[in-house]
Amino acid sequence: MSTTDASGIPASASPGNKRQVTREQGIRRFKWTVLTPLILLMAFLLLPAFLLQGYFSFFAFSIFDAGDSSGFSSYFKASEWVGLDLWKDAFSDTKFFNAILRSLLFSAGTTVCCFVLGFGLALLMYRPFRGQGFYYVFFILPMLTVPIVIAYTGEMILYQNGPLNDILSRITGQRVMFQFLYAKEVALTTIMFLETWNWTPFSFIIMMAGLASLPKEPQEAAQILGASKLRIFWEVQVPLLRPVILLALILRFLEAMAEFPKTWGLLQGGPGSATETIPIYIFLNAWQYFDISYGAVLSYIVMFLMIFIIMGAIWLLRREKKNLDDMYQAPNQEG
Amino acid sequence: MAMTKSQRQLNFSIFRYLVLTFWLFIVAFPIFWMVGTSFKPDIEWFAWPPVYITENGTLQNYLVVWADASEYSESVHTQSLQRPWEALGNSTLISLISTTLAVLFGSVLAYGVSRYQILSEGRMFQLLMLRMVPPIVLIAPISIWYRALDLLDSVPGLVMLYFITTLPYAVWMSKSFIDEVPREMEQAAEILGASKWQTIWEVVLPLVRSGLVATFLFILILTWSEYLMALLLSKTNVVTLPIELSKYQGSTEGRVYGRQAALSVGITLPLILVGIIIRKHLVRGFSFGMVRR
Repeated sequence: MSTTDASGIPASASPGNKRQVTREQGIRRFKWTVLTPLILLMAFLLLPAFLLQGYFSFFAFSIFDAGDSSGFSSYFKASEWVGLDLWKDAFSDTKFFNAILRSLLFSAGTTVCCFVLGFGLALLMYRPFRGQGFYYVFFILPMLTVPIVIAYTGEMILYQNGPLNDILSRITGQRVMFQFLYAKEVALTTIMFLETWNWTPFSFIIMMAGLASLPKEPQEAAQILGASKLRIFWEVQVPLLRPVILLALILRFLEAMAEFPKTWGLLQGGPGSATETIPIYIFLNAWQYFDISYGAVLSYIVMFLMIFIIMGAIWLLRREKKNLDDMYQAPNQEG
Repeated sequence: MAMTKSQRQLNFSIFRYLVLTFWLFIVAFPIFWMVGTSFKPDIEWFAWPPVYITENGTLQNYLVVWADASEYSESVHTQSLQRPWEALGNSTLISLISTTLAVLFGSVLAYGVSRYQILSEGRMFQLLMLRMVPPIVLIAPISIWYRALDLLDSVPGLVMLYFITTLPYAVWMSKSFIDEVPREMEQAAEILGASKWQTIWEVVLPLVRSGLVATFLFILILTWSEYLMALLLSKTNVVTLPIELSKYQGSTEGRVYGRQAALSVGITLPLILVGIIIRKHLVRGFSFGMVRR
C-alpha cells in the first residue's frame, strides 16, 4: 500500500496503458472482422442494384427492346435516355396513387386488427390456467402456415360452393353464394382478413412477452389503493407496455406494406384493380408489362416513401427505448 | 363479498373459455379444411353442400403429388415442371443455409453490439431497413444484376438475399438474449486466456442457446415461406416449395383442390412440427429488447 510514490504510478500505469491499447485494438479488429463481410455483401448485392435502378429510371428500357440476345450489355444498348419523363408520368399516375392509398389502408387496417386480437387474446391468456398450453399451440399455428398455402386454402374456403357460404346458408336459412374474392367491393377486405388470420399470432406472441415481463409491484400497489381492474389496465399496464405495443404495431405495419403472396396468389391485383397494392402494382409494371424503367421509377418513389415512414418509426422506437433505459437506470423508487 | 368475488372469477373463466374456443375454431378451420381436402376424392372437391368430413377418404392425392410423377404431370398442365421432391430439397437447402448463416452471423454481430457497441444504436435501427424496405422495390435490378453474374436461378443467389433480408431480425432477437447474459463468465474466460472467438463460441452462445433456437425458427418461417424473390429469381432450375405450389395457378384444367391441398400439407407440416417443438422458447424471443425483466 506504500507504493503510491511518484515512480510507482507510471510503473503500474504503463503496462495497464499498454493492455488498454491492445484491448482497444482487439475490439477494433473484432469489429471489422465482423462488419467487413456484411459491408462487402451489401456493396456487392445492393449497391449495384440500386445504381441499375437509378440508371433505368432515366433510360427507358423494356425487356422487349433487348431482343433475343438478353446479355447484360444489351440492356444498356437497348435503353434510351428519357430524362425525367417517366418520373413525371409516375407523379400523375392515378393508379399508382391509388395503390399507395390502398397499401396504407391495407396495412393500417390489418395492423389494428392483428393488434387488437393479439393483445386481447394475450390478456386472456397470460396468467396460467387449465388448457393454456393447448390453446397456445393452436394460436401460433397461422404464423407457421406458409402465406401462399393460406392463399390457396383461403380460395377453397371462400369459393362460392365452399364451406363459408355453406355455413352462412345454414345460419340464414337461404342459399348464400357470396363472391368473397371476385366482388370488387369486398376483395381487399377479404385479403385483409387472410392477412389478419396469418399474422395475429405475431402480435399475440409479442404481447404475451410484454405482459409476462410486467413488474407485479405497481399493479399490487394500485390494487391496494383500491383502483379498479379497468383503471389498473389503462393507467398501470398500458403505460408500462407502451414500448412493446409500439413495436408490435410498427413491425406489423411495415411487414404488411410488403405483403405480396396472398394478394398475388389469389387475385393478381384484380378484380379490376381492387387489390392493386404497391407491391402488386410494381410487379405488374416490371414483370407483366415488362416495363423495367417505369417499374424502377415507381420503386424509387416507394423506396423514398418507405424510408420516410421507417425513419418516423425508428424515431418513435428510439424514444421509447431511451425512456425504458432511463427508467431502469434510475434508482428503483417503488421498492 | 367472497362469494361475489369467486362468482366473478367463475364468470371470467367461462367467458375466457368461450372466447378462446371461438378463436380456436377460426384458427383451426382453414387447417382442418386443408388437411381434410387432401384426403377427398375429386368428386368431393367442389361438391355442394361441401363435404366436411369425407367418408371416402383416399390417399390418391398424396400418391399423385408426392409419389407418381407421371400421373402427376398429366393432372396439371405444366408437365415437366412438377418436381415436388426436388422443390422440397431446394427449400430445405436454401432455408437451412441462409437461416444458419443469418443466426450465426447475426448473433456474433449482436454480441459485438451488446459488449463493444461495434454498431451505434442509430446504426442498429438503420439495420432494420434491410428488412423493412419491401423487396419488390429492388428485385428487378437485382434480377438484372444476377443475370450478369450468372446467379439467376441458383441456390447462392437466393441464399444471399434471404440472408441479408433476415439479418436484422437475427441481430435484434439474439441481442435481446445476449444482453441478459451476465458478463462475469466472459471476464473469467478472458482472464483464463480465451480469445474473443473462443469466448463467443464456447461461453456466450451456448448460454443463449434456447434464444437462438427461437430466432432460428422465426427466420426459418420467413425463408421457408418466402414467395416473391423465389418467384422472380428462380423459375426453372431451383424451384422452392411455395413456387411449386403456385404452379397450380397456371393449371388450365381448372383447380385441382385435392392435389393442391396434399402439396400444401407437405409444405406446412415441417414448420408446424418445428414450431410445436420449440413453442416454449418463442415468447422470450419476440420482445426485441423492448421489455426488461
